[in-house]
Amino acid sequence: MSQPSRTLPAPGQAAVRNRRLLEILGAVSIAATFIFLVLTQPADITNGLAGGSTLVALGGFLLGAILLIVGVLPTLPTSTLVLIPVALVLNIALGQIMGSTGLPFYFDAIGTVLIAVLAGPAAGAATGALSSVVWSFINPTVLPFAAGAALIGFLAGLAARYGLFRRFYLAPVAGFVTGILAGVVSAPIAAFVFGGTSGVGTGAIVSAFRAMGDTLLAAITKQALISDPMDKAIVFAVVAMLAYALPRRTTLQFAFVRRFNVLAGKKQDAPDA
Amino acid sequence: MPAPLNTPAALNPLTTLAAAVAGAAITTAVSSWAVSLAVALACAALAVRSGVAGRLAPAAAVILAPFWLSLLVMHGLFFPEGRTVLADWGAARVTAEGLRFALDMGARTAAYVMVFLLFSFTVRVPDLVAVMSARRVPPQFGYVLASTLTLAPAISGKLARIRRAQESRGLVLGGGPLRRLAAVRLQMVPLVLSLIEDAGERAQALDARGFNGSRARTSYRDVPDTAAQRAFRAVALLLAAAAVALRLSGQWPQLQGPQLQGFAMLWPLGVPA
Repeated sequence: MSQPSRTLPAPGQAAVRNRRLLEILGAVSIAATFIFLVLTQPADITNGLAGGSTLVALGGFLLGAILLIVGVLPTLPTSTLVLIPVALVLNIALGQIMGSTGLPFYFDAIGTVLIAVLAGPAAGAATGALSSVVWSFINPTVLPFAAGAALIGFLAGLAARYGLFRRFYLAPVAGFVTGILAGVVSAPIAAFVFGGTSGVGTGAIVSAFRAMGDTLLAAITKQALISDPMDKAIVFAVVAMLAYALPRRTTLQFAFVRRFNVLAGKKQDAPDA
Repeated sequence: MPAPLNTPAALNPLTTLAAAVAGAAITTAVSSWAVSLAVALACAALAVRSGVAGRLAPAAAVILAPFWLSLLVMHGLFFPEGRTVLADWGAARVTAEGLRFALDMGARTAAYVMVFLLFSFTVRVPDLVAVMSARRVPPQFGYVLASTLTLAPAISGKLARIRRAQESRGLVLGGGPLRRLAAVRLQMVPLVLSLIEDAGERAQALDARGFNGSRARTSYRDVPDTAAQRAFRAVALLLAAAAVALRLSGQWPQLQGPQLQGFAMLWPLGVPA
C-alpha cells in the first residue's frame, strides 16, 4: 500500500532537502518562542493585557506548527495521509466529550498518538498540528495550542520508535513523561493568550494555586503538571490497547511498525521489511 | 462544517480569511477590552446579516460560557496581585484588578472566537481547498481539511450502526464503571478498525489517481476573485502587520484621552488605562 509510485516521478533531492529545512525551522521556531516567553515575561502578565507577549506566543507557535505541516505532509505515504482525518475526528469527538464532563483532563490526543505509533514521529507531529488547525474551524480556542499538540505527536512517535509500546506497562510511563513536556510548553499559551484555562475542572486547580499566591504562569504550569501527565498516561494506555486490538494484518501495513518492530509479538518476515 | 447556502458567494475565501486574521491580530495588538467587545459585536452583526447567526450563537456560547465562568472564578476570587479589595472572605478576595483582568481576557477571547467562527461558518470549504491548491499549498492539507469536516457526520452514523449491531448481540449500555468501560471497548474497537479499513481503500483509490504527484494541478472549480478584493487583502494584512510591529516595538500609543471618549460614554465603567 505504501510503496513508491511506479508511474509518477520521485521528488528530487532539492525538494527533500527543502522539506527537511522546513521541519527544522518549525521546531526551532517553537523552541525559540517558548524560551523567549519563559525568559522575558514570567511576571508582568497580570499587570495588563501583555499584548506583546501574546502576539509572540501566537505568532511563533503557529508559524512553527504551519512549517511542520508544510514540511511533513507531502512526505507522508497516502496510506498514512488518509488515516489523518480519521485521527482528527477521534481527537475532536473525544476532546469535546471530555471537555463537557468538567474533569481536569483533555483526552484530545488519542488519534494523534495512534498515528504516531503506526506511522512515526514526523507523521505524529504533523497530525497533532493539523488537529489543532482543523479543530479550530469548530472551536478557535484550540488553534494556539498547535505547537503543544505537535510535540505530543512527535514524542509519542519517538516512544514507539524506541520500543516503549512493546511492553504494556511502559506505554503509560512514556505518556506521563510526554505529558510533563507538553504541559510545560502549553502553559504559556494558556497564560498569555487566554489568561486562564477553559475547562471548569482545570480552572478550579489554577484557582487553588492562585489562592496560595502563585503568579498566573506558575499556577497554570502547576495545573498542567497535574493534569497533563495523568491525561497522557491514560491516552497512551488506551492507544496501546487499541493498537493491540487491531489485527496484525492492519498494523503491519505500516512501514514504521514493520521497520522498528513497534508492537510486541513475533516479528513478521514481510518481504519488504 | 457543511457550507451554508446563503453566504455572499462573491467573496473569495482568501478575502474572508485575511479579514479574520487581520481582525484577530489588530484586536490583540490594541489590547483594550472596549475594542475587543466592539469587534465581537461587529462579528455578531455580520453573522446575523449573512444568516449564520442561528448556528454560530450556540457554537460560540458552548466555547465562551464555561471560559468566562472559569475566568470569573479564577481571577474574580483569587488575584494575589490585586490591591483594591472589594470583598474579603479569607482566602478568596474580590479585587477590582482581578475583575478587570477577567474582563480584559474574556473580551479579547470573545473577539478572537467570534472572528474565527464567523470565518469558518461562512466559508465554503470546497472553495477554500480549491484556492489553497491553486496557491501551491500542499494538496494533502486540503484533503485532510475537507475530509475531516465531511467525515465527522459519517462517523457518528457509523458509531450508531455499530452500537445497534452490538446491542442486537447482547450489549447492554449502562451499569457500573467496569461494564461501561467494556461497552466502550466493544464499540471503539470495531469503529477504529472499520475506519482504518476504509482509509486503506481510499488510499488505493487516491494512489490510482496520482494523488501524491508533485506536478501542479488544474482545478474544475473556478473561485471568483476581483481586483478590489486583492487590494482589500493587501491593505488588511499590511494594517495587521503594522499594528503587530507597533505593539512589539513598545511604541503603542496610550489609549487614553479623546480617542476613546465614545467608548467611555458607551461603557459607564470607564476607559481602560
